[in-house]
Amino acid sequence: MSSRTAVKEQQAPVTETATQRGTLRPVEKRTLTIAVAGNPNAGKSTLINAIAGSRLHVGNWPGVTVEKKEASFDYEGTRIRLVDLPGTYSLSPYTQEEIIARDYLVDERPDLILNVVDSTNLERNLYLTVQLMELGIPVVMALNIYDEAQSKGYRIDVAGMEKMLGIKVIPTSATKKSGLDQLLITAVATMEDLSAHVPHQLNYGEDIETATDFMAGILHHSHPALLERYPKRWLLLKLVEGDSNVRQTTNLNDEAQLGEALQHLKRAHGEDLEAVLAEVRYSLATGLTREVLQKPELPKTEITEKIDRIVLHRVFGIPIFLGAMWIMFKLTFDLSKPFADWIGAMISGPFKHWAEALLGLIHAPDWTVSLVTDGVIAGTGNVLVFVPMIFAMMFFITFLEGSGYMARAAFVMDRAMHSIGLHGKSFIPMLLGFGCNVPAIYATRTLENPRDKALTALLVPLMSCGARLPVYVVFIGAFFPTRGGTVLWSLYVMGILLAIMMGFIFKKTLFRGDAPMFIMELPPYRVPSLKSLMIHTWEKGKHFLVKAGTYILAVSIMVWFLLNLPWGVEHKRDSYLGQVGAVVAPALAPLGFGNWEASSSLIAGLVAKEIVVGTMGEIYVKKEAEKVAQKPTFIEDLQETGSGLAKAFREAGTNISSTFGISSISADEDAAKTAERSPLREELKKQFTPLAAYAFLVFVLLYMPCVVAAAAMVHEFGTWKWYGVAFGYQMVLAWSAAAIIYQGGRLLGLGG
Amino acid sequence: MNLARLKPGEKGRILSIGAIGPLKRRLMDMGVLVGEEVKVVKVAPMGDPIEVFIKSYNLSLRKNEAEGIAVEVLG
Repeated sequence: MSSRTAVKEQQAPVTETATQRGTLRPVEKRTLTIAVAGNPNAGKSTLINAIAGSRLHVGNWPGVTVEKKEASFDYEGTRIRLVDLPGTYSLSPYTQEEIIARDYLVDERPDLILNVVDSTNLERNLYLTVQLMELGIPVVMALNIYDEAQSKGYRIDVAGMEKMLGIKVIPTSATKKSGLDQLLITAVATMEDLSAHVPHQLNYGEDIETATDFMAGILHHSHPALLERYPKRWLLLKLVEGDSNVRQTTNLNDEAQLGEALQHLKRAHGEDLEAVLAEVRYSLATGLTREVLQKPELPKTEITEKIDRIVLHRVFGIPIFLGAMWIMFKLTFDLSKPFADWIGAMISGPFKHWAEALLGLIHAPDWTVSLVTDGVIAGTGNVLVFVPMIFAMMFFITFLEGSGYMARAAFVMDRAMHSIGLHGKSFIPMLLGFGCNVPAIYATRTLENPRDKALTALLVPLMSCGARLPVYVVFIGAFFPTRGGTVLWSLYVMGILLAIMMGFIFKKTLFRGDAPMFIMELPPYRVPSLKSLMIHTWEKGKHFLVKAGTYILAVSIMVWFLLNLPWGVEHKRDSYLGQVGAVVAPALAPLGFGNWEASSSLIAGLVAKEIVVGTMGEIYVKKEAEKVAQKPTFIEDLQETGSGLAKAFREAGTNISSTFGISSISADEDAAKTAERSPLREELKKQFTPLAAYAFLVFVLLYMPCVVAAAAMVHEFGTWKWYGVAFGYQMVLAWSAAAIIYQGGRLLGLGG
Repeated sequence: MNLARLKPGEKGRILSIGAIGPLKRRLMDMGVLVGEEVKVVKVAPMGDPIEVFIKSYNLSLRKNEAEGIAVEVLG
């Protein structure tokens, strides 16, 4: 347990008894470790959020990108440690989630398993319960979504279930927060005598029971240590199943005697013993369900069915989906943009002034002032402007998932995405990529399969994001004023076509092998709990700030050093950035822009692609005499902070209500910017030919992802590997595409 | 007859699952078992994947996978 969680625990509200006992004899307090297991869509996440709320600590399972949630808190004098296992349908050794869940249960041996079961779908949920019961660990069942089951007219014999399974069963409704106390009380009570709560051993049929008995006898003599180390029944059943992971870790591959026991089974039931066990377990689940569940004679047409009739309609399904996506895209970017702008204005305005004033007070040298304001504060700004967008995106993605629509989106789009080797769920990250690649990369977490996830994240940077737009706009204004729309359109389309091409290439190279299967539940529509939405959104935003923020700040400061050192350079050509640019320039010569100005600007674009324009402005346009503007006073700055925020709220409101136009993707600049950029345009016309300018735009579209996208990739995947791949292939792609366009264009006599 | 060829609204009983290994286990874990009754609910707007009703919940799978599942049509 990390020290951070420990701090949180102390802040956690504790009941009176807990405080009394805790202060009297803190040493005796025992920790009850509870592993929470259940099917996806069984309301596990909502249940945990409702119980632990802000005490949740979200991280990743070691070595994988699957989210791990943990919380420790005191309840009635007992310290409870909740560990959320990934949602799984089974404990087979095939998916990442299942392996994590079973390894945790088998190796860490929690004191108790809290099995969250969807009451409206007992049979399939009990299939997992049957497997959890094999582990010899006490189980308490949360019969969740009980309210919905009741309103559907289901009658569940809870007492009968407890009797048959030998475990405690508590009806709960996580969204309505009912039964949660009862659940915790029951969990704590089992602690008094854990062994009394070990579930019944279900009878798997004579043949299997005989075989396991026989094998137990053999192992008892030859490998007693294994029987100590693993839950006995689980181990025996896994050996019958021929579970590859278990056979490897136990080294029981070549046990001739064990093989004999299995031969008999195979003669009676066929070769595929794994299938035989799945059938036996399901028949137990089916039998149990039949005993305890009474459904109404005439089921009503369910709301889910009604919604699906419209949403998955053969003709209207796709338009409805695209409409929904358009609204989400608009909300994500237009809602967050005013706040991002406000943060940006605050950082470059008042905060900068205040820092300058403070540093002036202590007579700090000029370079320190510049480092703090242009390096550190501007870098912090680069991090902060992304936060509103990440929050907005996380909120909508979580809503889509929690409501059940995400699965429909995948269902509708799978055919198209599958043809380029992706998954139906890849569509949403790709679409978000047009706004900003950063939330798009975070959105890949909706993909369960690591292969789909990595491939999607690799292709996302080819979606032309909003930050590339200022570069396009300036160049289009200078070179293609009459054909702006066509040029802009061609860049977006080129990004998409190259993504399709790279999808094919990656499918045949890096991700060779079977395309992952698409076997997905379409869960009933449900209204997600606001608390769950908020917790997810907040966690993601916080992680971005802390983890990704560090990298981004570091790179921003590094670029400041490159631009401004050696201190006091007269000409940007002599700064480190200029010098690096001069070294790189020859490599860009075949593309039509082999000069230090262009290459330095491209390097600075690592921070964010729009910086390319800013740097060009600094390099090409000689600074006019410093404007002697009256600096705003402290009070004025303070007023601006407040009125700016109010304005941001107003604008966000307007953006939601206005249905036309997406402000985040538009080739129009406001008048002030156009005037500001016109000297740069004139200068660019002298430096680039139209052909070279187009090649430059293609290069900007395709070359390395910005540092924020890099931080997102590293953060999301826990390794630099995928960023490395993205960086490499995009550089090659950008260079090749720009070279083909420039050289090809020259051959065709397009000038150059 | 296989599952991919059933039309929306048609029901069938699963006779065999042609897949092997992880795919077969995954299907079985999701309740796609021999002898189980399955009803095709919808076909996605672009013709693939399909949605089926099995073990009282809705499952979607690609036609490619559904082709390996042999069924007998139920009236």
